[in-house]
Amino acid sequence: MSIPNFIIPDLLLLLFPFIVIGSRLFCDAKSNVPWRIANIGFLLIFMLLNFIPLAGGEGRFFICNWRVDDFGVFMREVLVVSAILGMWFSKDYFMHAAAGKPQMHQIAEFIGAIAFATFGGVTVVSACDTITFFLGLEIATIPMYALTAWNKQDQLGSEAATKYILMGSVATAFELFGFSYLYGFAGSLHFDAIHNAVAAGTSPLLWIAVLFLFCGIGFKLTLFPFYTWAPDVYEGAPTPVTAVLSVTSKATAIAFLVVLVYGPLAPVQEQIAPLIALLAGVTLFVGNLGALKQYRLRRFMAYSSIAQAGYIMVALLGTAAMAKTAIIYYLFVYAVSNYLAFFVFGIIGHHREEIFDSLRGLSKQNPSLAIALAISMFSLAGIPPLAGFFGKFHLFFSGATTGHYMLIAFAVLNNVLALFYYLQLVKSAWVDEPDGHLNPLRLTRRQRGVIILLSCAVVVLGFLPFLSDNIFVGFSGL
Amino acid sequence: METVLFNLIWVIPLLTVLACIPIPATCERALRTVHTASVSFVLLVVCVLTYRVFALGAAPADPASTPFALRFFTDIPWLNAFNAHYIVGADGLNMLLLALTAFIVWAGVLVSYKIKGNQKVFFALIQLLATSVYGVYMSFDLVLFFVFYEMEALCMYLMIACYGSGRRDYGGKKLTLTLAFGSSMILATLFGLYFESGTGSWSLMEISKVTLPMDFQMWAFPLMFMGFAVSSSLFPFHFWSPDGHSAAPTAVSMLAAGVMMKMGAYGCLRFAMFLMPEAAKIWLPYVVALLIFNVVLGPFIAIRHKDLKYITAYSSISHLGLIFLGLAALTPVGLRGASLQMISHGFLTGLFFATIGMIYERTHTRDITEMGGIMKKMPFLGVGFVIAGFAGLGLPGFSGFIAESTIFIGAFQQDSTLTRIVTVLAILSITTTAVYILQTANRMLHGPMPAKFQTLTDGCFREKLVIVVLVFCLLLIGIFPGPFADMLDLSIAPIFNRF
Repeated sequence: MSIPNFIIPDLLLLLFPFIVIGSRLFCDAKSNVPWRIANIGFLLIFMLLNFIPLAGGEGRFFICNWRVDDFGVFMREVLVVSAILGMWFSKDYFMHAAAGKPQMHQIAEFIGAIAFATFGGVTVVSACDTITFFLGLEIATIPMYALTAWNKQDQLGSEAATKYILMGSVATAFELFGFSYLYGFAGSLHFDAIHNAVAAGTSPLLWIAVLFLFCGIGFKLTLFPFYTWAPDVYEGAPTPVTAVLSVTSKATAIAFLVVLVYGPLAPVQEQIAPLIALLAGVTLFVGNLGALKQYRLRRFMAYSSIAQAGYIMVALLGTAAMAKTAIIYYLFVYAVSNYLAFFVFGIIGHHREEIFDSLRGLSKQNPSLAIALAISMFSLAGIPPLAGFFGKFHLFFSGATTGHYMLIAFAVLNNVLALFYYLQLVKSAWVDEPDGHLNPLRLTRRQRGVIILLSCAVVVLGFLPFLSDNIFVGFSGL
Repeated sequence: METVLFNLIWVIPLLTVLACIPIPATCERALRTVHTASVSFVLLVVCVLTYRVFALGAAPADPASTPFALRFFTDIPWLNAFNAHYIVGADGLNMLLLALTAFIVWAGVLVSYKIKGNQKVFFALIQLLATSVYGVYMSFDLVLFFVFYEMEALCMYLMIACYGSGRRDYGGKKLTLTLAFGSSMILATLFGLYFESGTGSWSLMEISKVTLPMDFQMWAFPLMFMGFAVSSSLFPFHFWSPDGHSAAPTAVSMLAAGVMMKMGAYGCLRFAMFLMPEAAKIWLPYVVALLIFNVVLGPFIAIRHKDLKYITAYSSISHLGLIFLGLAALTPVGLRGASLQMISHGFLTGLFFATIGMIYERTHTRDITEMGGIMKKMPFLGVGFVIAGFAGLGLPGFSGFIAESTIFIGAFQQDSTLTRIVTVLAILSITTTAVYILQTANRMLHGPMPAKFQTLTDGCFREKLVIVVLVFCLLLIGIFPGPFADMLDLSIAPIFNRF
């Protein structure tokens, strides 16, 4: 059997975690070799992704129906970028313990878990039957449970992981139930067959399936009313895991919805639009409200990312081409801005407690860090000319293509609320006087480099949008 | 060549920020020199280009820019994903506003030499703010316009909260969030304009070619108009301005009151009224009713205040009310008066806040009850303040007189009882303005001087230069309004023709 070239990066990605973990057999626990292998591997995969023709292809491997299209290719890039950033971020936590936490060990397995989660995300965007689809979602989620509890001696982490795994299993049950009804309705597992069956006519069976699928994925995407686990898990997990969770896991979940809504359920997109609009509106409102009163950095980021999930949902109301473009672009922007924020929080968390007050006087002691923080916060708040604005503009534009002006007006007004709490954080860093009791911050060369790189990315992705524009040429034909 | 120079207006401030990154924050002198050189160069460029626009007069312009006759017209595809273009150009109205901005930015940098805190970041933020204001006045594409319009929020909060005085965090947040509220209303209408017009373009010229459906106009016009009016502090959205201005450092007050509040009025005229004229005719009479607060009650509130910046802020609120009176009159004379007032009030309020900032830098108080006899120690600054005050109450010879009388004539021409009543009230309120200005000048400049003010010094050369230049501009428009009015008339005609 000849291997079509579009699947090579996926195979590499599947093989790669085994290599990283296996390398542990040949070197001692403190060795840097797994880290280097991981770096080379991820960068290699990222390079290869740029060579896949956007048209991709479709094939059957073992029992999986595998399809690579342009959306899938760009999603792979988002996921790999997120994995690389998460890996760079986690390195510090294996070298020094964060303030008040035990030091983390076993970096090779840690990176392996991130790679598995990434492969899960790739499976979700490539699947064209429900079994593969479901497998992908589980491959993406299960490593996250383990990652959350990586700090074995940390009580908060174990508690968070327990909560996460319990709630996650219930969500999985919901999804399986939904898929079983979908199968019962269409009589086939293949997406194209389901698509044809849905186009031919609907029945209550289908609506039950849709409802359960949305409930299940609502948990993973932290949609209202299934978002309650997020603040606790974000708070309890080690900081790099929180960052990976907020980007990779969210990207996988939104990819799941995109594949579902514009694939098998495309004929009834108009009928499920009110459900999407409702979920989007309520989620972003609840997320914004929740963030207002937070004073712990990671709880705050949890609510902020809940609100962001609501904003992303707005795009799902649009036409396929517009929505996919908007979501890909937004996920890139969101990944970069979010990681930038988490890098800053990570440096704070290494020396101080992770609360707003630890940021006091940052602009006087460490101006570059304060500027990076302001850039990431303003980008997340959607202030031009930063990338976040153009990302949100894309999302709203997509929603507006089908005339949902009321929802967009509501979302845009909510942005003012969001700006308020992002300003609270900026205020802590820029306005409050320094507190002499806080430990001084030290930046390593790599941390400084990554922060400058990400800050520039947030500014440039927005300021020169025609650079990112070329990414979407492939979508014009969709 | 001129087109390139024109496009450089908003690029130079950004380049200056980049150029200053390698300079360490401790070399304040070098930083100030670089920024002063940069703003002076921009000022020169803008003055030359303004003269070019004036000299070209009614000469035919690029046909792609009809119905406007835009000079230095540039149209480059920008965001292909939703067909946004980079469209900039200049006609009399926005060229004069650009000139105003260049003067105020120049003055703002010169008065900020002694600002406390990290000067590197402060000047960088001023330059970013300048970029955004230049961009707003230059752009004729809705997306480009909005990007620049919203950009100011990023700089304003940081500048007020980090370098301001008094309740700076509160003032900064109030200002930023209220403005963001206004721009969110604008953003919502922008999407509507794009999809309802069906042109598939964000260009002002393209959208104006179709008549938008009436039911859309009926909800979109008030939303957009009020969104812009928020930044011009039209009642009931005026509440951010006194707190914001009083907390802001001098340069930011000057920029905020001098040019940013004009962005709102400019947006109302150029975007809301131009694109949706049918709805404007129906809704604008209601705006006139709101003006009673701005124009009539604003000066009364100013009388009761003791803080110099609060007094000036309420004075700005009343002057901006007059701009809206001119707009709502919907007569060519009224529109010309409104645009003249935008420019005139920019210089006026710039001068006001500049002198107040200089006085505050020395006395460390803005409470007029704690001051007295300042004229003895600071005659130059005192005279500057008095001139600003006189120009503010519309003394003939200064630009305020020309602008306000044009507005009153234009508004009275309109055949509506309400407008006429408000016009008469507005004319009468000039007396109230005189009360607070004379009262403030009297308490502050004359009378017994507190002992702690004995050591105060008058303005240095840099400060005197700022005052002289701004007074010169006020007098220039006041004594030779003709050329300015001609430039404005040419650019208002396409807007008025829509009604």
